[in-house]
Amino acid sequence: MLLSWLFPRGKACSWCGRPVHQGFFCTSCRQQLLDWQQHYHPCLYCGRLLPLGKQAVCNQCREELPPFQKARSVGPYQGLLKEMIWALKYQGRRSLATPLGHLLAGVVVRELGSGRPDLVIPVPLTSTRLRVRTFNQAELLALALGQELDLPVNGEVMFRVRETAPQVNLSRRSRWQNLGGAFKVTAPGKITGRHLLLVDDVLTTGATASACTRALQAAGAADVAVVTLATGIENLPCFSP
Amino acid sequence: MTVAGSYTPVFCWRGFVYLVWGNRSGRVGISHNPGLDRTFWLQRGCRQFSLLTPPLPLGTAAFLCDWLQRRLPLKGEPPLQQAAALVNRGRLKLGLPPWEAPPNTLPEPGPAPVAAELALVQKNLAGRILWREEIALALAEHKGAVNTPLEDLLQWLYLAGEVTLLPGVGYEPNGEPRCRRCGQASRLLKVTCAACGSGDCLVCEGCLAMGQARRCRPLYARPWPAQPAARGRPDLDTRPRLNFALTPAQVDAYREAESFVFQGKEKECLLWAACGAGKTEVTCGAIAAALSRGRNVLYACPRREVIRELEVRLTSVWPQLRILSLYGGSPGKFGTADLILATTHQALRFYRRFDLVILDEVDAFPLSEDPMLYYAVARARREDGQTLFLTATPPAGLVARVRRRQVKVIYLPARHHGHPLPVPEILRDPFLSRPGAKRLPRSLVNCLDLTLAEEVQLIIFVPAVKLVEEVVAWLLQERPGPDPNRPWVQGCYAAHPRRDEIIASFRREEFPVLVTTTVMERGITIPRLNVLVLYADEERIFTANTLIQIAGRAGRSPAYPSGRVWFLASRISPAMAVARRQIQEFNALARRRGYLLAGEK
Repeated sequence: MLLSWLFPRGKACSWCGRPVHQGFFCTSCRQQLLDWQQHYHPCLYCGRLLPLGKQAVCNQCREELPPFQKARSVGPYQGLLKEMIWALKYQGRRSLATPLGHLLAGVVVRELGSGRPDLVIPVPLTSTRLRVRTFNQAELLALALGQELDLPVNGEVMFRVRETAPQVNLSRRSRWQNLGGAFKVTAPGKITGRHLLLVDDVLTTGATASACTRALQAAGAADVAVVTLATGIENLPCFSP
Repeated sequence: MTVAGSYTPVFCWRGFVYLVWGNRSGRVGISHNPGLDRTFWLQRGCRQFSLLTPPLPLGTAAFLCDWLQRRLPLKGEPPLQQAAALVNRGRLKLGLPPWEAPPNTLPEPGPAPVAAELALVQKNLAGRILWREEIALALAEHKGAVNTPLEDLLQWLYLAGEVTLLPGVGYEPNGEPRCRRCGQASRLLKVTCAACGSGDCLVCEGCLAMGQARRCRPLYARPWPAQPAARGRPDLDTRPRLNFALTPAQVDAYREAESFVFQGKEKECLLWAACGAGKTEVTCGAIAAALSRGRNVLYACPRREVIRELEVRLTSVWPQLRILSLYGGSPGKFGTADLILATTHQALRFYRRFDLVILDEVDAFPLSEDPMLYYAVARARREDGQTLFLTATPPAGLVARVRRRQVKVIYLPARHHGHPLPVPEILRDPFLSRPGAKRLPRSLVNCLDLTLAEEVQLIIFVPAVKLVEEVVAWLLQERPGPDPNRPWVQGCYAAHPRRDEIIASFRREEFPVLVTTTVMERGITIPRLNVLVLYADEERIFTANTLIQIAGRAGRSPAYPSGRVWFLASRISPAMAVARRQIQEFNALARRRGYLLAGEK
């Protein structure tokens, strides 16, 4: 006790355990997490990452704008961020939720404008999957984010009616059909006319976030912004000058 | 995104604490299915059965059961009111919120499980500590099927005292939580758990890589059944078939290891061997001695690659034995064999099974830094079993126990070729600069020239990943070499994208100098090699043990037994001095025992 007071151990990086002076991650991990900013910028609407200096809006949003107002992410779904999401989601390393929620809070403050959301809503899991995994990673992230920014979080406003098939290898139309009616709002009174922030771990096709947004909008939400830990990178075709 | 196996249902144990009473005495129990427990106790003449709590997560129920068992007078009349008060005190001890009253209705007794199914479960769990899901996998692996719910069979065996039921995370008698699987108490998280529905479930993050240990998840353990004193397997040929001759040093160590097992006086023994002295071959003596007496042997090592390699080597020594290798991703986790090889992580699944545990590379990562793995290996051993530690560089704690004579020691100080270990030459350069800041130090140039003149290879060890590229650039800047497309010096480190390719190319002698980090301190044998440790005074990286292991890379082959080792630094660190002194002591011991070739100094 006395020794620990005389020689405090200091904080350790939440991922690699190296000493840190402030925040949750060491300089090296932080650098790896934010390295993408030198090469990519987010699509104006869906937040998917596009090569720097190229178009401001991704091809998907050019065809059709997503129903949510804006989506932003901490970084691309690769490298260290992917490992962290994997550890949180599939290995159950829940202690990562707070540092990752802290990163999400940074994205909300920097990227999602000055409007303060009225309520944070995590993307729900089905009850079966919740019992199997024992936690909803989006809810853990939302709680950490809410604590950091002092925002109310409600994971019971919306629930997932049924488990949906993996979105991989499905056409765009099939994805919408796959997710159609998958989400239901249980307490519309709590969201009517309010500015909502939807939280998830990964935004890949954007279909889940869109389905949630449609359900929330149908229940009377004023607008929905989306924040995720990771997103995809859009590979644009190379045009020669 | 889906992951294979992510939908495997996980059994969540929620159950009651109850009091059961016979003619004169009673006992406290826990059950997820009180009807089953009533059946069991009715068969044993107990008539009074009272539930004391509502369904609780296993960790809480187990703590309360233990708490009541210690405090409740279990003779005479059933002390129901006292039990209720004690339950409340126990709850407060754990800091848990109040819970509702236990149900009034008693569960109806059901049929007892089938004896054949109980025996099947017992057989599959023997010597192991497993989750319910793992027991189901073990049954499936052995093509065993049961119709009764597995948790009911296990509960019956627990009541009969055949199986130990433990919560993944349980409480000590003083109310402190502890992971029952890995034994640690520091990386436990209080979480909301959808499986048991509680908002204060405990999860262990220390052993997450082997699956979630939670307060509500049951672990079942059963020791390997005790065998008669005069044990042996007359049908099993346990003689090792060594296809090489042991050196005098190995013969002595082999016999000592054999007698350590035969006599069984000491519980622990350290085989302290010089790098490259062939300690694995020496352990064959101990393994053969144990197998010939019908004992179970585990050869554990922290590295998967070593286990794979060892499987090949030991299969050639004992072609007649069934050898099972267990590591992350190995097929079949629950098989039986005459000899089991496993990574230390896999040892987490064994419980009081082995009479002899051989623990290789005790000082290597991750074993050296993870008390959980020591705990796992210690639990895999039977209570009266023995442990043989193998290493060239034992950790300080083990050395201290050797000095206090708590651990027996066997020395293997000489290499098979009979030449002494290369003693590091310390090159002190007070003006040693960072790479590229000045010209190459004269001492480094001399080492390079000497190595290239003798037409051998050189590994330069540096203390940081970023120094690898910098030192390579520094060397190439000063000495570009004849062909820029085929550089004479290359670098690699653990996360290098072309690591394996570069090491393979170095092994094929396609270039003479490799710059690397401590990732290459073990497990590499290059026949004609010199070694240089640059910035050897960086004590955070180059500890005495690391320097000894690095020095052990040189002079391993009879083709070039006099490989040279240089420590280049701006000062002489204590670790450098200790490493050199220890190598000299080993050579002196080898010389005294007559293990070195005549004429070797």
